[in-house]
Amino acid sequence: MIDISTIERELRQLWKEGAGSTAGGQAMTRALTLNLVARAQDGPSAEQMGAVIQQLTASHPSRAVLARMRPTLDEPRLEAFVQANCLLVTQGAPQICGEQITIDAQGSAVTQVASLVLALLVPDLPVALWLPGPAPLEDPLLLRLRGVITRLIVDTRDAHDAVRALAHLAAFQATEARATRQVLGISDLAWAILTPWRELIAQFFDTRPLLPHLQRIDQVLITYQPGERREGLALSLLLAGWLTASLGWVMLDQALSVEEGTVRLHLRRPAVGRGPNAIRLITIDLIPTAPSRDEPPAITSLCLRAIDGVSADFCVERGEEANYATTKAHVAGHPPISRLVRCETPTLADLLAAELRLLNRDQTFATALQSAGIFAEWLPA
Amino acid sequence: MRNENSVLSHNPLRHGLRIGRTPEPCTMVIFGASGDLTSRKLVPALYNLARERRLPGGFSVIGFARRPWDDAQFRDLLRSGVNANSRNGSVDPALWSSFAEGISYLQGSFDEAQAYAKLSERLAELDARRGTGGNRVFYLATPPESYSEIIHQLGAHGLSRSPNGGWTRIIVEKPFGRDLMSARELNNQLLAVFDEPQVYRIDHYLGKETVQNILIFRFANGIFEPLWDRRAVDHVQITVSESIGVEDRGGYYDRSGALRDMIQNHLMQLLSLVAMEPPVAYDADAVRDEKVKVLRAIRPIYPNEVDHYVIRGQYGSGSVSGRPITGYRDERGVASGSQTETYVALKLFIESWRWAGVPFYLRSGKALPRRVSEIAVQFKTVPTMLFADMPLNAIEPNVLAIKIQPDEGITLKVGSKVPGQQQIRPVTMDFRYGTSFGVASPEAYERLLLDCMLGDGTLFTRRDEVEASWSIITPIHQGWTSGSALLSPNYEAGSWGPAAADEFMLRDGRTWRRL
Ligand SMILES: NC(=O)c1ccc[n+]([C@@H]2O[C@H](COP(=O)([O-])OP(=O)(O)OC[C@H]3O[C@@H](n4cnc5c(N)ncnc54)[C@H](OP(=O)(O)O)[C@@H]3O)[C@@H](O)[C@H]2O)c1
Repeated sequence: MIDISTIERELRQLWKEGAGSTAGGQAMTRALTLNLVARAQDGPSAEQMGAVIQQLTASHPSRAVLARMRPTLDEPRLEAFVQANCLLVTQGAPQICGEQITIDAQGSAVTQVASLVLALLVPDLPVALWLPGPAPLEDPLLLRLRGVITRLIVDTRDAHDAVRALAHLAAFQATEARATRQVLGISDLAWAILTPWRELIAQFFDTRPLLPHLQRIDQVLITYQPGERREGLALSLLLAGWLTASLGWVMLDQALSVEEGTVRLHLRRPAVGRGPNAIRLITIDLIPTAPSRDEPPAITSLCLRAIDGVSADFCVERGEEANYATTKAHVAGHPPISRLVRCETPTLADLLAAELRLLNRDQTFATALQSAGIFAEWLPA
Repeated sequence: MRNENSVLSHNPLRHGLRIGRTPEPCTMVIFGASGDLTSRKLVPALYNLARERRLPGGFSVIGFARRPWDDAQFRDLLRSGVNANSRNGSVDPALWSSFAEGISYLQGSFDEAQAYAKLSERLAELDARRGTGGNRVFYLATPPESYSEIIHQLGAHGLSRSPNGGWTRIIVEKPFGRDLMSARELNNQLLAVFDEPQVYRIDHYLGKETVQNILIFRFANGIFEPLWDRRAVDHVQITVSESIGVEDRGGYYDRSGALRDMIQNHLMQLLSLVAMEPPVAYDADAVRDEKVKVLRAIRPIYPNEVDHYVIRGQYGSGSVSGRPITGYRDERGVASGSQTETYVALKLFIESWRWAGVPFYLRSGKALPRRVSEIAVQFKTVPTMLFADMPLNAIEPNVLAIKIQPDEGITLKVGSKVPGQQQIRPVTMDFRYGTSFGVASPEAYERLLLDCMLGDGTLFTRRDEVEASWSIITPIHQGWTSGSALLSPNYEAGSWGPAAADEFMLRDGRTWRRL
């Protein structure tokens, strides 16, 4: 069995050793910005998560508690050990350190993990719970820790069916919103991976002369690599949900058709002015492309188009090489303007870091998820 | 959320994106584009911004200088400049070629009217071809003697106003004048052609994240503000030291000196940031209003008082960190009997309710032992000694040091009991951004160029700010030139400045911090 005071003593010892090695023997204060609780389902994933947590130290020095849970093993066992996560960011610069407590639980002892975690949290700092894997919302740790966590991080791409998982997450969010507890920020790493797409599309309309075109969009085309568990489709639904929610597009009944794998969503623009032309229909096409062998499912292009009147076309396309994208704006009567941008595939640590930077509920994600959840409900399984 | 029927006034797709908005496509015209600053700082900064996806498609650069180059030669030069100076290492070839499509060179002399006519044509052509919509930034990266000619020519060719409802801005490098008169004159020339909101006077110190953190530290933490005044603070020391000599800038430096080169701009900025009142908002005018108030409240040092409040020094030969350094007067470009100071220390008082009676000691110099920038706020000592068997002088005052360079961070010195002994010893609580956060900060020029393109002048110096600062500096120069005392080398390179600077502090019963 584990004794909290032993863990704490070990932590103190760890920092003492660290401080001894700094220049001038000064007393060092360590900076911690958050508690990060993570659950792993097996040894290899625990190891991988440990590595990610270590990389996170650079931007989010934290107390990390990594729980490896193996409830299916017979013999009940609970163990914990402590380590410092130190990272040499640049040659010659001092190391950055965070601390990690690994809990190893198996058999019936897994039910004790939540109470152990509670005792190990640093007071006053936010608590994020990272639950990778297929069914985070059913995780006992989530239920037990719900009262203390401020952010839940999942990845719908880990689910057996990512589209269903999206609908499920949207439903969970709706229930949470009705509950009177403290607000829980929800993060989906599938959403985090879309940030460059959102950014590059948004950038077109930072320019005053182009901004009005945003109200004239008639068509959206999203192409994606599908994936075996509908990950790519889920990503494109999130993008569609984001555009719908941000631009105030109105959903229609019966608004989905599927033809040769392409999903078409039908919406309408909010009315501008009066008369028969005030209301215009919009289509969003989600088009699967050939799956790529060595890359995870992803969005490959996103285009916004106005065809009525002055035609205008705003596209972001991933390049032949995955690390680049091309942006292209073409408004009739003007030369097309394009540029190449760097768009590196973010690592898991990058995605987590971006989500952990948020302190509150991500309102943009919340509304995008809500719309995407509705689209996902409409889709046949 | 949105008002139907309405025309969009902001970009709804921006909500929730963590990086800021992108500037509108524009053309940056760099005057002095074949110079050192362009290839060492400006273009690497622009390239890094492009690399981080912060620049819009269509962004263009026109380089203006006399050398007979074509576009390709100019691009090659800039590319090697980026390779040598970018914090991200060498260029990404694919990205560079997309970025370089927007770069062109225009050969001309600053006084050649025809060149500006060509410039005007080129700008119009870029507006049409690359969608830059009449938006432009003129960057004066030239010797300061050329500023007024360029400003005049821009005005004469109607280039200070944009066509097509776009915007035009101008960035002016340091030095901004060499005394109050010339700074006023330059301001007048600028404002005869441009409006103040179009003018961006650069002080790259303000672009450093560490400097911006001073305001965050002060105004995002409630616990320090009640201590931030004459009741609790004994004095403040601001140090910006450089470990190098003048190197190959001797010719420039000999006409400038530490007071102009460092104190007038960088140290005055640091002083305003530590001493200012909380602004009513974090925007360009509110912040600068408060900074100007500090400068205006500084009690002037009259020419006949200079010796009492200011110490100057000049380094002789010596060595820094084991590297020999030639004496200042023997450096290339420096006059043999040069009267230029390479070190200054001065004492200022801010005559406000908050700071009355609290001395602010500023020092800056070249060829000092280390490169350090910091602000140290020393608090008053405890009024009585409570711990009878220990002498009062065993208690050192609390010092809060805001370190800007090289290890950014904050240290607080507190008295603490030595375990097992009847003894109080100072310990420092040391918080370093570098050991807490491992994320690299952007270069100062990246932030500043982006802010200018976005129309945010918060981190630039306003007209009244420069003039207020010069009105403190100029009487000191007058005191030096009218006085009879001559300056001769009075500190060894690699030491912490002249002995007189230490005596200066001792007279007040204080000492410089050992850094
Ligand atoms: N270098 C730095 O690190 C630094 C730091 C802070 C501030 N600054 C300031 O930035 C400015 C530029 O500095 P710098 O070091 O880049 O100067 P520099 O290397 O001397 O460059 C001067 C530039 O001006 C051009 N030029 C000079 N007279 C001209 C004329 N009559 N017509 C056309 N072009 C002319 C030169 O081009 P041609 O020879 O081809 O004509 C050259 O491109 C100065 O105000 C300096 O104080 C520089």
